[in-house]
Amino acid sequence: MSITGNMARCIGDHVLSRRGFLADAFTGLAGIGLASLLSDDLFAAADTPPATWKPGLDVAQFPARAKRVLQIFCPGGASHMDLWDYKPSLARHHGEPLPGEEGAVTFQGKNGNLMRSPWPFAPAGESGKMISTLLPHVARHVDDIAFIHSMQSKTNTHGPGCVFMNTGSIFEGFPAAGAWIGYALGSENENLPAYVAIPDIRGEPPNGKANWSSGFLPAQHQGVVMAAQQPIRNLTLPAGVSTDEEQATREFLHFLNDKHAAANPGLSELQARINAYELAARMQLSAPVVSDLASEPAALVRLYGADDANPLKAAYARNCLLARRLLEQGVRYVNLYCASRASGVDGLLNWDAHKTLRADYDRHCPVFDQPTAALLTDLKQRGLLDETLVLWTTEFGRMPTHQADSTGRDHNPDGFTCWMMGAGVKGGVTIGATDEFGRRAQVDPVTVWDFYATALHILGIDHTRLTYYHNGLNRRLTDVHGNILHKLLAY
Amino acid sequence: MTSQRFRLKLFLAHLWAMVSATAAAATPTVDFARDIAPIFEQHCIRCHQTVGKKGDLSLATVADLAANEYVVPGEPDDSYLLEVVTAATGERPQMPKEGPPLSEDKVALLRTWIAEGAYWPDSVVVREKSKADRSWWSLRPLDRSELPAAGIPADWAANPIDRFNYARLASANLRPNRPADRRALIRRVTYDLTGLPPTPEEIDAFVRDESPNAYETLVDRLLASPRYGEQWGRHWLDVVRFGESSGFEVNHVIDNAWPYRDYIIQSLNDDKPFDRLVIEHLAGDAVGAGDPAVEVGLTFLVCGPLDIVGNQDAVQAAQIRADTIDEIIRATGEAFLGLTVGCARCHDHKFDPISQQDYYQLYATFAGVYHADRIVATDDQKREQAKNLAPLELQKAKLVEERAAREKARENGKPPEELDPQIAEVDKRIAKLSTLPSLRVGRFEQPAEPQCVFERGDAQRKGEQVVPASLSTLAEVSMTYELPTDAPEQARRLALARWIVAADNPLTPRVLANRLWQHHFGTGIVGTPSDFGYMGEKPSHPELLDWLAARLLAEGWRLKPLHKLIVTSQTYRQSSAYRADAALADSDSRLLWRFPPRRLAAEEVRDTFLQIAGVLDGGRGGPGFRLYQYSRDNVATYTPLESFGPETYRRSVYHQNARASRVDVLSDFDAPDCAYSTSRRIRTTTPSQALALMNHSFTLGMATSFAERLKKEAGVDNSSAQIERAFQLGFGRAPDADEGQAASKLLEQHGLRAFCRALLNSSELIYLN
Repeated sequence: MSITGNMARCIGDHVLSRRGFLADAFTGLAGIGLASLLSDDLFAAADTPPATWKPGLDVAQFPARAKRVLQIFCPGGASHMDLWDYKPSLARHHGEPLPGEEGAVTFQGKNGNLMRSPWPFAPAGESGKMISTLLPHVARHVDDIAFIHSMQSKTNTHGPGCVFMNTGSIFEGFPAAGAWIGYALGSENENLPAYVAIPDIRGEPPNGKANWSSGFLPAQHQGVVMAAQQPIRNLTLPAGVSTDEEQATREFLHFLNDKHAAANPGLSELQARINAYELAARMQLSAPVVSDLASEPAALVRLYGADDANPLKAAYARNCLLARRLLEQGVRYVNLYCASRASGVDGLLNWDAHKTLRADYDRHCPVFDQPTAALLTDLKQRGLLDETLVLWTTEFGRMPTHQADSTGRDHNPDGFTCWMMGAGVKGGVTIGATDEFGRRAQVDPVTVWDFYATALHILGIDHTRLTYYHNGLNRRLTDVHGNILHKLLAY
Repeated sequence: MTSQRFRLKLFLAHLWAMVSATAAAATPTVDFARDIAPIFEQHCIRCHQTVGKKGDLSLATVADLAANEYVVPGEPDDSYLLEVVTAATGERPQMPKEGPPLSEDKVALLRTWIAEGAYWPDSVVVREKSKADRSWWSLRPLDRSELPAAGIPADWAANPIDRFNYARLASANLRPNRPADRRALIRRVTYDLTGLPPTPEEIDAFVRDESPNAYETLVDRLLASPRYGEQWGRHWLDVVRFGESSGFEVNHVIDNAWPYRDYIIQSLNDDKPFDRLVIEHLAGDAVGAGDPAVEVGLTFLVCGPLDIVGNQDAVQAAQIRADTIDEIIRATGEAFLGLTVGCARCHDHKFDPISQQDYYQLYATFAGVYHADRIVATDDQKREQAKNLAPLELQKAKLVEERAAREKARENGKPPEELDPQIAEVDKRIAKLSTLPSLRVGRFEQPAEPQCVFERGDAQRKGEQVVPASLSTLAEVSMTYELPTDAPEQARRLALARWIVAADNPLTPRVLANRLWQHHFGTGIVGTPSDFGYMGEKPSHPELLDWLAARLLAEGWRLKPLHKLIVTSQTYRQSSAYRADAALADSDSRLLWRFPPRRLAAEEVRDTFLQIAGVLDGGRGGPGFRLYQYSRDNVATYTPLESFGPETYRRSVYHQNARASRVDVLSDFDAPDCAYSTSRRIRTTTPSQALALMNHSFTLGMATSFAERLKKEAGVDNSSAQIERAFQLGFGRAPDADEGQAASKLLEQHGLRAFCRALLNSSELIYLN
């Protein structure tokens, strides 16, 4: 969608080049994406209907299988061989050196010998997929999940790793997948943002806001932060302003702005600004409703674990519930975090188990397991999974060895696991493999660009044609890469 | 075919050199460089090259050809290459896959070349050509052609800028608007040059000024105002991705980068020549060693994001270092040259004539730059410091000794505590003396090894050696240089700086003139101000751009004369009124048939609130203020403030902008994150702006102060005077009758603050005509 054409069109009184029109439209109609902007409807009143150029054609390339995305992110580098990627050889060779890489120096330093997973694995579902017994609830969904065991990252550092997994670039300043998809498809609900990021109660993930940034895309495509523990910023009236005063103030403001817009034709931003104030007012009403979990039935609250005695688990469960409510309301992309950035001790606040793997994951897995499984169940029962693509991601995996003088594992960007399920995804399959110890992706290595090329494909978008010009290039979420993972498509 | 190719491969290696040499001995009719290389270049190399090749064939070098079995010297009929480019009648040949098949002539040339021995000199390497070559418009010398003269009316003939614009409009059958009225004009130019609104008194004085040079006087006053440097300095800080936190995962705040911000503001206010500024940015230590006022320019090199997490993995650490240098290369190329040099890191630039070698020549130039703080002082200052410090330290040592002695003899001597005030006093004097400035200006080391090209940008894959040298991109129009492999580190940066501002370098003045134009009119003559290459926009007024660039050189690289010329032009002074007929031909007003209206930038919005609320702290310079709460353990967290004290009431340019942080109002109104150079801000209109301005405590606080001010200046009980004053302060005009009525109604029912809150949210306040 290179917006470089210079197609003059008339809309009402305003004559706009295609580029100018889009710029105004981006700025004006928050929540409405490129595809709908370019739809025929918008040009219904145009006196020069398009002859050969079909609006939106550049965006929707394939039949869309999914309408929206739920991305669950476990920051800190969740260990693949302790959760998803069964490695019996690790147990057999426990305590022996990693062949060919004895004492390798990785992110934090020197590695010791191979270390078996502290937890047994067990077959799950009809597919019999071996899953860590730490995740008994999520294990029930394996027949719907397509595991990718051969993920690779470019960096072994959390911040750039998280940003890479979300934006396809290790450098900050690039748009997150949610921003790209919001830009392409907009929101289905004009009272809510297209892209919502739900940070964990423990805080933001490594590199914070860069993970849901709009980068060089227009600012309204950035993820709006919202969580059960944290409402949308500036959503409520300031203290000391009554609703009467608010109403009268808005009326006067509307009068001023209408008059000013009328006196300044040819500047469509002014009308867009009036619309933005109206949308903001609607958001003030609709956002608290969507985040009010009180109406959820008690049984469902229990299913999620939102009433759990463990405050971290209950908080994450409430965010899972919020995620479902947002998806149900047509939010295009929900980016749900389970854990935060590191602070103080490694592995305490996220999946970064450098020193005490067993203690760390005994703490994290119960927080993650039941609420996540309940969310997947709930989406399925409501039929939302038919239209929702679910992505589970982390920034990298961990070493099959323990770190020298510790019982934890160091970072490993050379092989790890992510998974997909839901709309368009074939369940119960596994793609790629690491070597026998889980050290490196060995069969069909997959990059983050392949991952998103596939996600975009399922959303009906050709990843090579979703572009935006910035500093010398028509940039893409998939950079100059991306192979669609046909093996995990259900069609 | 497979078996044939296999057999060929067996003897090819042995025979290649001999056959090739023998055949070449007979006078060949085909010359590889002249006849064959262009065919490979045009039809084959895009896919068949060493880097990013498709299939397993490369046609880049003679070694590549020897390594594959596609050509049998002397035997065209056994050469697979010829087979794939020819086809049976009516069919499309296998190759090239993209583009038209080779013409019969070209196939004949290939056949002859093979028949004559397929001689390919080692020195000839076939490269993929960039889309633009060295004849690209921005790489040509400045065009110094005549000013347009024909058909230009007298009032548009005096200022050369107007001549160009009038002629350009006329060529599109357009005419300009009438001049703007004085109220609109003073508001426009005051914001443009200072970033703040004119006061009602200034507006009034200008509207009443009947002298013929009233406007010129106004412009001179604004250009002389210290507010000018604050406004235009902000534009430059965007371009150089000036940020005051390290970025990446750790993202610690940086507390000693602000002197660079003050230096930029001061340099602009002093109208320091831009060529001098460039030299100070890249090699301030060469031209002003020990002088903080000069060396501070070096902050440019090290104010980008930096990964400081400390990676123990040697391969990753080397890549991070390469990324760090890359960041400096890109910032330099984009800021000064408008070239996206960074695109040549992994391969030759696909669009512009910048080779990978060019990129690594710049790498060699910056290879000794390290992000660090450094005390910047002259030797004299350091000696002086030591001299002054010595007696104080002696004095302190004596006091401490004495105190210890008294402590020992506690029972019968003088109390030791008696000496504490004296010790504290000496400490204070020492501390005062010790403040030689430690600036964020980087540390420089002589690179230990010659620089190599990193193949595919991979620091582990070292290719050919390079030396610090000028970009080949401008080799035909501008001076060139090439330094020895072991050239002193500082000399490398100085040579680059001098090359960037060399008299015949056409890019630097073009890029700079365009930046000025962009901020005066909202859009540059080139709409992509840091990309003057193939992927950038072409200039809307190429002759004007070159004239401005030449004028900039003629003015000795000083900006103020150019500002004055631009803002006193008829083009700038025309009204912004909309005309449907003109819009039909030029909807974006790129041809400037009107002055393009614009929304205020983030800093202007915030500063306007502070100013009209009467609380703006005009203090200049020094450490910045923060609109966030900063907390730090191993990583930093920036939490936006919920309430604001007067310490935050300074101009927004003095905000300590941290990366990956979000603050209300500024971030909402598109202030960049400074993760990378921002040459042109996106202008968005979003609900989050509405939420911030309606609900955030800053706006409410400003509304309260604004109301207080109105009471003070218009009388506590005089609501119509309050309304009048508010409109004058905010919009620079009196309210219309219906506006007055609606305002009175709101004021009566909900008080002055509600009215002020509405005005702060109004479009008219933040849009300029």
